[in-house]
Amino acid sequence: MTTPVHPAVQINQVSYTYPPTGLGTKPNIALDNINFTIDQHTKLGILGPNGGGKSTLIKLILGILKPTTGSIKILGQSPTKARNQGLIGYLPQKIQADLNWPLSVKQTIALPRACNLKPWQQLTKNDHDAIDHAIELVELQDLINRPIGTLSGGQLQRAMIARAIATNPKLLVLDEPTVGVDIAGQQHFATLIDTLHTQLDLTVIIVTHDMRAIAATTNRVACLAKTLHFHNTPEGLTPAVLAQVFAHDVAGAFGDIHIDAHLADSCDDPTHAHQHQHDCGCDHSNDSGGDT
Amino acid sequence: MIELLPVILAALAISIMGGTLSIFVVLKRLAFIGQGISHAAFGGVGIALILGIHSTTTAGTLGQLTIVVGFSIAAALGIAALSRSRNDRTTTNTDTAIGVVLSASMALGFVLFTLAESKHNHDDHGHAPHQDGHHLIEEILFGNILNTTWTKATVAIAIALLIIAITWLNRRRFIFWAFDEPVTDAYGQSSTKTTNTFLTLLAIAIVMAMQIAGVVLAAAMLVLPAAAALNLTAKLKPAFLFSIIIATTGASLGMFIGFQRDLPIGPAIVLTQSFLYLCTLLIKTITTRS
Repeated sequence: MTTPVHPAVQINQVSYTYPPTGLGTKPNIALDNINFTIDQHTKLGILGPNGGGKSTLIKLILGILKPTTGSIKILGQSPTKARNQGLIGYLPQKIQADLNWPLSVKQTIALPRACNLKPWQQLTKNDHDAIDHAIELVELQDLINRPIGTLSGGQLQRAMIARAIATNPKLLVLDEPTVGVDIAGQQHFATLIDTLHTQLDLTVIIVTHDMRAIAATTNRVACLAKTLHFHNTPEGLTPAVLAQVFAHDVAGAFGDIHIDAHLADSCDDPTHAHQHQHDCGCDHSNDSGGDT
Repeated sequence: MIELLPVILAALAISIMGGTLSIFVVLKRLAFIGQGISHAAFGGVGIALILGIHSTTTAGTLGQLTIVVGFSIAAALGIAALSRSRNDRTTTNTDTAIGVVLSASMALGFVLFTLAESKHNHDDHGHAPHQDGHHLIEEILFGNILNTTWTKATVAIAIALLIIAITWLNRRRFIFWAFDEPVTDAYGQSSTKTTNTFLTLLAIAIVMAMQIAGVVLAAAMLVLPAAAALNLTAKLKPAFLFSIIIATTGASLGMFIGFQRDLPIGPAIVLTQSFLYLCTLLIKTITTRS
């Protein structure tokens, strides 16, 4: 009897509402009835405007927030269980670590693994192998003894990616990984994600508002602005799809400005989208509940 | 000399504890929270006094300590709860939370002191003169380690050892939390639980340090050793080691100078640790220039 292959992420009718922040304020609906499934080994980009619910979605996937309604499964388990088993690796948007800590690069990368040990236990050979492999993959093996605070921005990001993969996760969640990274750095990042995806057999979710990061690193894209629109792009992202996504991004900041009125309309309205599916190059077969 | 033994042992135990915790206090920037907790402890002493619990007997000493520790832990967790972000929507910032708890506790302490004093005057009317209230306040504010009996010393040493043991057991969790709190939840380490655990330890440690340095200077014993140690090293284990060495050296020299020159011991220890901090700063400046 074979064990069932669970989707990496399964989100069913999930909504999340933040409570009012003070007198005279209203509850803030961050996500509204989201449905989607991410198969294992997918590289999914989630694109959306500021305030579109990207960070909330990440926190729900990581189990830091509980959905107001609906349910989430990560590899067939609750997010909390999956997280506690080290199945989820996470790279935060902004590295807020206190770089004054007297920690070496290797000590920093080892922290999540070390935290799972009993106080009297030391890292085993297996632990060291996993940590060293993560360090090799991000090409930091020459810097392992350097104080973490002496790394450059790019090196620090790679160290944090190594920390995220050192627990041998099955799902890697990257929050705005290319903010402030130059073009050369972005290309290097895309190659690195590709290597990790292939070598570690990872499912990768990249949440960003940067279309270049999505185009360079993912093979599937979702557009998030409280609700979710999916686009299967097995051949890579087409300019038509990017135009639609960009329409969402711009709409979040400036209102209903459409790059291409016809294409954008088709994505905003799923019933309409089906009529124009051929034109816009999108496959809305994964859209569920019409608008989600 | 033998009568000073409990004083010396208690001071050294508290210094080792201070040296251990201060790495986290400094790097996690909890120095101001430490001040808040130590001032809040003043309110705890006021509650003990109004309840008629004085530290003149062993039972009274333990009773007062329990109340002060309990009140300080409540204040520490209160500060944490007030300043904790609620689903990313911060309710009150940490500075404000500390400001509120610190001032309210100090005010409560003074009010209760006054009430306890007038109650005492009323009860003892015509009897033996009571302890001077102002002298007592001064002792609580600035510490009087010379009052340390074997009972107080034993309690202080036991609690210091317990805090060091709990810190060692949680060392990796504390380091991860203090280094990068925003991501710990994502790795299955609850930041709220870790914060509450550490602040509880910090509250107890500060009440212990108060016995040496009083309300005003207690937090300094949880800041200076690590501030000095981190001038000397950028490595983890040496940082803890130097911090403990600086804490105990400062306490030993401070006590020696205090006893020799008949100076208040708490401030003498804090001044010595401050001097050691300046020495390490000088070493750092010289070595980084050359």
